[in-house]
Amino acid sequence: MEAEALVSEYMGRLEAAAQPLPAERRGELISEVQDHIESALVEAGARDEVTARNVLERLGEPEEIVAAETGDGNRSATTPPPPTPERASGWGSVELGAILFLSVGAVFLPVVGPLIGLVLVWMSRAWTTRQKWVATIIAVVLLVVPVALLLGVSAGAGSSGVSS
Amino acid sequence: MVLGETRNPLTELRRGVLEYCVLAVVRDDESYAFDIVRELANAGELVTSEGTIYPLLSRLRRDRLVTTTWRESEAGPPRRYYRITDHGRRALDGFTRDWARFRDAVDAILAAA
Repeated sequence: MEAEALVSEYMGRLEAAAQPLPAERRGELISEVQDHIESALVEAGARDEVTARNVLERLGEPEEIVAAETGDGNRSATTPPPPTPERASGWGSVELGAILFLSVGAVFLPVVGPLIGLVLVWMSRAWTTRQKWVATIIAVVLLVVPVALLLGVSAGAGSSGVSS
Repeated sequence: MVLGETRNPLTELRRGVLEYCVLAVVRDDESYAFDIVRELANAGELVTSEGTIYPLLSRLRRDRLVTTTWRESEAGPPRRYYRITDHGRRALDGFTRDWARFRDAVDAILAAA
């Protein structure tokens, strides 16, 4: 194959590979590579098949050049660092679950509901330890007071039963 | 950077340092793209496929680490010349310091091993 045919075949492959690039950059890249080939042939001082093959080989596969264009793991000096993992400030499903189990749960699942709620409170990464202790104390008081009252009533009932 | 090529430590290293090597080439004088590619290729080890430098140059332009000027050439179409910006110079200075520390650390560990 002649040098010219080799180059045009190469450029055809580059154009095909560059299809996904934005039109402006695609045209620019194609002309940059075209200029490179021309400069390399001038530098070599020959335009025979072997010289052309050598120039194209040094350039690399067209697909490889386009891959470098689309990133492919290449990060630039000024690319901002990836965003830090979501900061634990917002409420997520853990926090919502904790609130529900501590409030509605206390009605529908007495004792068990608030206990699940407390587990969720301590699993949360949005609340501080202090907030978690406050929630725990409130929940425990709300659990213990009714139980204590019930025990007191039943104890009272028991003692009155004995005295009668 | 060959698609499907197994990861090779040199490929990864080149990927990380090549853009600074381009900045170093244009640090003192503006250069035509082909000459930048030649200089990097002649240094050995740095470039496996010369064509992949063009996407890199485009990225450096976009990131304003280099600026370009079109100049007439004696033969053929006008050529684009690359020159480092102040921003590019700062990035290069920072990398030069980091690289010296990095190189020394790796050398020390390799020598001790």
